[in-house]
Amino acid sequence: MTDHLSPSMLNGLADGELSAAQLAVANEHLAACPACTSNALYQSLLKSATAKAGQRYTPPPQLQERLTRLASSGLEAPGSGTGHRYPQQWRFAWGWVAAAVLLLVSASTMMVQRTARKAEISSAEHAALVTEVFDQHVATLAGSLPPEVVSTDRHTVKPWFQGKLPFSFNLPEGLPRDTALDGANLTYLHNQPVAQLLYSIGKHRVSVFLLEKPGATRADQLPAEHAGFHVMDFSTDELEGVAVSDVDPARLAELVSAIRQAQTGR
Amino acid sequence: MTLLPWKRAARESGPQTSVFEDLALPLLPSLYNVAFWLSRNPTDAEDLVQETFLKALRGFTTFEPGSNFRAWIFRILRNTYLTSRTGLAATRTVALEDELDDHRNESGTALYPEGAIDRETPERNLIRLSDRAALHAAMEKLPPPLLEVILLCDVEEMKYREIATVLEIPIGTVMSRIARARTALRGELQVNVTPREFRA
Repeated sequence: MTDHLSPSMLNGLADGELSAAQLAVANEHLAACPACTSNALYQSLLKSATAKAGQRYTPPPQLQERLTRLASSGLEAPGSGTGHRYPQQWRFAWGWVAAAVLLLVSASTMMVQRTARKAEISSAEHAALVTEVFDQHVATLAGSLPPEVVSTDRHTVKPWFQGKLPFSFNLPEGLPRDTALDGANLTYLHNQPVAQLLYSIGKHRVSVFLLEKPGATRADQLPAEHAGFHVMDFSTDELEGVAVSDVDPARLAELVSAIRQAQTGR
Repeated sequence: MTLLPWKRAARESGPQTSVFEDLALPLLPSLYNVAFWLSRNPTDAEDLVQETFLKALRGFTTFEPGSNFRAWIFRILRNTYLTSRTGLAATRTVALEDELDDHRNESGTALYPEGAIDRETPERNLIRLSDRAALHAAMEKLPPPLLEVILLCDVEEMKYREIATVLEIPIGTVMSRIARARTALRGELQVNVTPREFRA
């Protein structure tokens, strides 16, 4: 016997891919050839060892959670009519939006009585901004559509806005406990393009809107709360940020603080 | 009764979503494991798997019930990887070498060093194969086309035909890549085992 089993025969043997006829030929040869028997044994051991070593990485719980949510949300291709699947949710959401609008209008009216004309204008603008922000966040939750950029990587999310926004911003490297970046959308507030950053804090969704700072400064910062949703704002020399979520205000404040620090470096 | 289009879509999408959930979620550990091996970092792996799920969910209406869902979603993962930043870089690096090797090995020759195994004792072989770190290092050195075929064949236990479907290559190429991958692993393991481990 001069011909040994070919590599493809040895691999086919280890992988269980030989036909009955090929297997009979291989077995006959192995019975008389120690070298090929050794090779075949090694191939089988190598396959088994590779199979064990290859099962090396397990998905993090937050990814499992996110994908479970995604799979159960029933996302379908845009235009397939799923936008009409949540009429009751939309009615519910719009009810809250209407309540928020009323509440914010009341708050704005009180501000008008107490402050000067400039502050009055500023507060009204703030109220309108919060209303729009609240509206956008509720629409994001109710729509169940994926973000325009889906990534947990800040180096993917930030560059995605290049050429889309007339300003730039930084995303924090370290996030508070149990907080993850889900992606981002390009959206519009006051007819200006803004970045809507989407985070998860546990199972709570958070929208953080970053917009270019207008010429006039606002009178103060107003943490607002509407039907369980908290709205927090912050500003730096260049940017304004507004965060909205139903998560615990302290945890929302941690995220807001991290994002503000990423802009200022302090 | 004739349903309005959006009502019909709502009726159809419920069970379909549930089917997708039932089919896709059990494959998450396998998809993430392969994604991590290919992309070599957790962030890219997460993005790769998430994008794969999104594409699969969007395209689920084109999936034929009863056909091989695992091969289908792994093909989406693989194509997503190829168009990702790390995938494009890896493809550019190894494409030419891969093509040349494919041609050279079609004859089935020169895949194993002459007598490479015969000189080794079974004990030495077992010591090498039980060294998990050496195996990981050897697998990490495989170029992506060889690594993916080994992951699908050995780790995911796919048949050659299934692998050919996932990678969109002929079965002959699957076989030659498996042979080359195992030769490369064998060579790396022989080089990487230290004298200390032999003495142990």
